[in-house]
Amino acid sequence: MDFRSLRSLDEVLAALAELGDAACVLAGGTDVMVQLGRGEIAPQTLVHIEHVGELSAISCNGHVRLGATATHSSIAESPAILNSYGSLAAAAASVGGWQTQSVGTIGGNIANASPAADLLPPLLVHGAVVSLSSASGSRTLSIDQLLTGRRSTACAADELIVAVDLEPVGARTADAFVKVGRRSAMEVSIVALAVRLTLDETMTTVTDARIALASCGPMAFRATEAEAALIGTTLDDDALRAAGAALGNRAQLIDDVRATAAYRRRLIPRVLGKAVAECRQTIVNRSESQT
Amino acid sequence: MMSVSLNINGRDRSVNVDGADTLLDVLREQVGLLGTKEGCVEGECGACTVLIDGAPVDSCIYAAAAAGGRQVTTIEGLARPGDYSPIQQAFIDGGGVQCGFCTPGFIVTLTALLRRNPDPSRDEINNALSGNICRCTGYSQIIEAALLVAAAATSTPTPAGAVAQ
Amino acid sequence: MTMVGDSIARSDAGAKVQGGAMYGVDHREVGMLHGAILRSPVAAGRIVSLDTSAAEALAGVYLVCSAADQPETMAGWVLKDQRLFATGNVRFEGEPIALVVAEDRATALAGVAAIALVIDELPGVDLETACSSEARVIHPDWQSYVPAGGEAADYPRRGNVAAEMRAEPAGVDEAFARAAQVIEDRFTTNRQYQAYLEPKAAVATYADGRYTIHTSVQHPYNVRERVAQLLGVRVSAVRVVGKTIGGGFGGKLDASVEPIAAFAAKLTGRPVKIRNTRTEDILTCPSRENAIVTMRTALDADGVMIARDVTVEMDNGAFSAEMPWLASLPLHILGAIYELAGPTRVISRLWYTNTAPTGAFRGVGGTYLYMALEQHTDHIANTLLVDRLQFRRAHLIHDGSASLSGQVLGDAGILAEGYDELERVAPWQQVLADLKPWQGVGIASGVWMTNPMPGQATVKMNEDGTVHVITGATENGSGALTMGVTQIVAHELGVNAANVYVTMPDTDVSGYDAGSQGSRTTHIVGRAALDAAIEVKRQLFDVAANLLEADPADLTIVDGRVSVVGSPAVSIDIADVANAALWTVGAVAATSSYTSPAIPFDAGCGSGVLFTTMSTPTYHVHMAVVEIDPVTGRVKIVRYVVIQEVGRAINPVGVRGQIQGAVTQGIGLALYESLRIGADCRYLERSLEAYRLPLALDIPEVEIVLMEHPDTNGPFGAKGVAEPAVVFAPAAIINAVSHALGRSITALPVTPEEVLSIIEEIEGEA
Repeated sequence: MDFRSLRSLDEVLAALAELGDAACVLAGGTDVMVQLGRGEIAPQTLVHIEHVGELSAISCNGHVRLGATATHSSIAESPAILNSYGSLAAAAASVGGWQTQSVGTIGGNIANASPAADLLPPLLVHGAVVSLSSASGSRTLSIDQLLTGRRSTACAADELIVAVDLEPVGARTADAFVKVGRRSAMEVSIVALAVRLTLDETMTTVTDARIALASCGPMAFRATEAEAALIGTTLDDDALRAAGAALGNRAQLIDDVRATAAYRRRLIPRVLGKAVAECRQTIVNRSESQT
Repeated sequence: MMSVSLNINGRDRSVNVDGADTLLDVLREQVGLLGTKEGCVEGECGACTVLIDGAPVDSCIYAAAAAGGRQVTTIEGLARPGDYSPIQQAFIDGGGVQCGFCTPGFIVTLTALLRRNPDPSRDEINNALSGNICRCTGYSQIIEAALLVAAAATSTPTPAGAVAQ
Repeated sequence: MTMVGDSIARSDAGAKVQGGAMYGVDHREVGMLHGAILRSPVAAGRIVSLDTSAAEALAGVYLVCSAADQPETMAGWVLKDQRLFATGNVRFEGEPIALVVAEDRATALAGVAAIALVIDELPGVDLETACSSEARVIHPDWQSYVPAGGEAADYPRRGNVAAEMRAEPAGVDEAFARAAQVIEDRFTTNRQYQAYLEPKAAVATYADGRYTIHTSVQHPYNVRERVAQLLGVRVSAVRVVGKTIGGGFGGKLDASVEPIAAFAAKLTGRPVKIRNTRTEDILTCPSRENAIVTMRTALDADGVMIARDVTVEMDNGAFSAEMPWLASLPLHILGAIYELAGPTRVISRLWYTNTAPTGAFRGVGGTYLYMALEQHTDHIANTLLVDRLQFRRAHLIHDGSASLSGQVLGDAGILAEGYDELERVAPWQQVLADLKPWQGVGIASGVWMTNPMPGQATVKMNEDGTVHVITGATENGSGALTMGVTQIVAHELGVNAANVYVTMPDTDVSGYDAGSQGSRTTHIVGRAALDAAIEVKRQLFDVAANLLEADPADLTIVDGRVSVVGSPAVSIDIADVANAALWTVGAVAATSSYTSPAIPFDAGCGSGVLFTTMSTPTYHVHMAVVEIDPVTGRVKIVRYVVIQEVGRAINPVGVRGQIQGAVTQGIGLALYESLRIGADCRYLERSLEAYRLPLALDIPEVEIVLMEHPDTNGPFGAKGVAEPAVVFAPAAIINAVSHALGRSITALPVTPEEVLSIIEEIEGEA
C-alpha cells in the first residue's frame, strides 16, 4: 500500500484529485488502521494529513472554528470549547482512551460517520458547518447535510474535510453530553445524546432546544420532533415525557453486541431527562455566578 | 515498500515499510525492540503504547510511515540502559508489576502523564489510564506507583542556596 | 536481610519494567518459519472437502497439513477425546482444521485464506439444548474414548454427558415432602475469558527425534504430556522450555498451539512459530464454563433448613479438558459454609456442546456456585425476615464440621473469626445505616482450598554463595516464585533474597511440577524448596563445622555467614563453605518434593466424585457496597472489604496484589465480562472491544484484612492466597445489587440492562 505523507493542503487536494477512490485519507488512523487490519478497506494509497499544519488549529475569531486535524485531546482541553461547548469537550474526552484522543481527529470522527461517533451529537446540536475543499473548489455543508447514512457522507472522493464551524452560543444557553457504556470509559456508546437548551429571561421557559442522538440509528441525527416537544414548555414532566417519546419514535434501534434495542429504548427518555436537567442547572448556575 | 526515517529512543533509524504496516510490527520485527507488546491490535488494551513526540499512542493502530521524522519513545528509551526512571522504580517498589505484559504500556502512558502533570490526582491517573488494561493487579498498586512519583517530585527538597530568603 | 513476611520487590520486576522480559510470543529461533491455522468457521458440521492446493502454490509456503497427515492417536487431560486437527467433523468454532507454514506470517495467513473448505453445517448443540432435550450426540464414539489414566480411571459418562457426579444422601425427598415452605432459585452464569494480555504463542524445533517447545504456559509438564499424546510419542521425546508468562489465570494450563507447532517443526525440519490473534485466542481459550444452577431448600414451620437439593449443569464444550474433574466441585462448595439440619443432595452434570472446550479460570466454578449459594441464602433470610448477617452467623460451620464428602474441617471456626473481623472494620448496623439511596450491601463467605498436587525443587548453593532454585514451577505473574519461593529459600538459608535465583522451567532439567494453578505454588513448591534448603543447610553446616571446629548443631547462618551461635566472631562466609564442599564432599545441593497429605473422606458420599476433598482449606468473608445509577442501571462498587485467611503472608505487598487483582476479576465476572454463546453456538464477543475488561476507573481500592493461622505443612505456615478473592467477589456484589433493588438477581454477570428493567418494574409499581 502506498503512503504519501503530505505537508500542505494543496498537496493533499492534488493527491486526492489524482487518486480519487483509490485514496484513503489518514490522520491519526485510529479508525482507518483498525479497518485496514480487519480487511474492511483496501485503498491503493494512504494520504497522510497529520502534518498539514494549517488543518490543526482551533480558533475563535468571533466564532469557533476547528481544523479537521484538531485532536480529541486538543478539543477536550481547549478553553474556548470548554467554556461554550462543554458537550463537545466531554464527547472528545470520551473517545477511546488517551492513546486514541492524542491522535484521533474531529475530521476523522466525522468522515468515518460511525453510527456511534461521539462527536456527532454535540456537533449536530451546535449547528456545525463543515468546510470541504477539493482541487476544484470549496463548499460548506451543515453537519446533517453531510451525513448521508451509516458510514457514509456527502464528502466526495476528491474532497477533504478541512474545518468545522460552530454556531455561537447565546445567553441563557447551555449544553450537555451523556454517553452510556458498560464501563466508565473506553466504550463505543450504547446511546449517546447531546442537548443544547436556551431558556427565556425568566429562566423558566424553553425558547430553543436541540437534541441529537448517536447509536440510535444508522447515523447520528437531530430529533426535531423531540425538540419541538420541549420548546415553549417549562420542562414539566409532561413535556419531558413527550420529548422522550418523540425521541424514541425517531430512533431506529437495533440489537447489537453492546446492547439490545429494548435497553436503548428504556435509556433514551432517561438520558434525555438527565441531560436536560444538567443544561438547566448550568444555565441557573451561570446566571447566579453573574449576579 | 518505502523507506522511512524514524527517530527511535534518540537514534535515527531507517526502515522499509509498506504503507499499512503498523509502528508496532516495525518496532518488534524490524527494529528488534520487543518491549512494546501486542495485546489486541485494535487499540483496546494499550500494551503497545509508545510516545510519539511525547504523546501516548497505540502503536498497533498507528502507521509506521506516519511516524517518519518524529520522535518515537518506547519502553526501552525511558532510562539509560541498566537504570530505571522514577516511575519504573516505583513500579518495582510498590508491587505495580505482576505478569508484566501490560507494564511497558502503563509505564509509557504514566511517563507522558507525569511529564505533563507532575502532581496528578488519583482521578487524573485513572482517566489517563483508561486506555491501558491490566488483568493482574486490579490497578491499585499501579496507581500508587504514579502517586509515589508525584509525591517525590513535589516534595523535592529546596536547593540549599535558596533557603531562608 | 530480607525475610519471610517482608515486602521485598519481586526478582523479575526490573526486566519487566524495562521491557526486557522475554515472553513466549517474543521468542524466536534462527531460520524460524511461521504457522497460521485454518479454524472451523462454524460450530458444528461435516467437512465435505478441504482443498489446500492454492495455499500450497503460494510463494513462500513450506507446508500445508491437516487431519490426513496426523498421527492416529487420541489425547486429553482427563479423557482422550481429542485429535490434532478436526477429523471428519468440526465440533466448535475455532477448532483447528489445517495448518499453513510459510516464511513469514503474512504469507501463512494468505495461505490460510487460500484454502477452499466446504462444511456441511449442522445445528449446534448448546447447554440448554444438551440438557433439556434429546440432542444430537456430539461424540457418537464416546464409548471408545479412554481416560488419560487408563480404563480403570473411567467415571460416569454417557452420550453428551461428559461426566456426572451424584451425591444423594437419604431423606432429601422426605424432608421436602414435609416442608412448610420451599425456597427455590435458578441461576445462570455466562463464560468468562481469562483475557491474559499475552495471546498464546509457541516456537517448536525438532532434532534428533525430540521436540523442543519454547512457550509461556502455566503447566509445562501437562503441555509436554499433551504434545506427546497428540503426536504419538513418549513424553520424554518432548521438552517444554518456559518463557515469561503474560498472564494465564488457568487459561494456559493445557496445550493450545504447541502440539501443532511441534508437528510442523518435524515436517518442515525448521523451527516453527505459531501465535494466536486475539480473536483466535478468545475463540479457543478454555474459559470459565457457563452453567445452570438450581437450588431448593426445604424449611420447616420454624424456618429450620431441613434439606437442600442442588443440580448443576455445566458446559464442557466440544472436548474434555480439565472439566470432568471439576464436576465434583459443587459437592464441596455446597456443604462448606452453612450447616443445615438435614441432608443435601448434589447432582452435577458436565455436558458436551458445540462450543469451545471450557476449563479452569482462577477460582473455577466456585465463583458462580458461591454466588448461587449466597444469593439463595439471602433469599431464605429475607423470606424468614431475619437479618442476613445474623442468619449467616447462626448457621456457620465451625471447628470439626464435616463437608458433604465427609472431610472434617478442623479449623472452620476461622470463618466466625472472619465475621468478627468484618464487624470490626465495617460494623454491620453502621454500614446499613450509612447506605444512601440506590445503594446496597452484600456479604459472601466460605471455604476455599489450596491445590495439593505434587511439585519438586532443587536448591543448589553456588560457589559464590548465591543460590539457585531449579524447579518446573512457573511464575505466572503472581509472585509465587519471584517473591514466595525466593523469600522462603532466602529466609531458611540466611542469605539476601537478591542472591536467590529461581530458574525458568525446563522439563528436561527441572523436576515435575503440577503447574501454577489453584493457589498451590507458594504452598507446595515453597514447601519442597524449604525442605531442600533445610538439607542444603545441613550439608553446609557439616562442612562448616569442620572449618570452624564446631558442632554442626551450634551453627547458624546470618547475612550469608555461617557462625557459631553465641560466638558471632567465629564465622565463615557461606561462599567459602560452598567452595570447600565442592572440593571435598561435593557440590552443595538438594532436591525435595512435596504433595499435600491425603485427607480422609467418606467414600460413600456419592458417585463420580473425581476430587474428594478440599486441601489446606482457607476461610473468607467479603462485603461489597454498590450504588446503582437509576438513569442507566450501571452498578458501581463503592466499598469492598476482604477478610482472608492466608496462613502466613510471605510477602504482604504480593498478597495484597493477589487480592486486589482477584477481586477485580470477580468484579469483571459480576458486572462486565461475558462470553455469550449465540444461537449458532458461536461467541458474540470476539475482541477486546466487545469483551469488556474492567478499567482502573471501574475498580475501587479493596480494603483487606489478613488472618494468619499458620498451616503446619505449609512453608512458614503459608497457605494458598491467589484464588479465593475472585471466588467470593461475584457473590458479595450480586447480593449487594439484589439488596439495593430489593429483587433476586439470578444471572452472572448482572447487566445494566437487567438492572434498568428491574428499576422500571419498581417505578411501574410505585
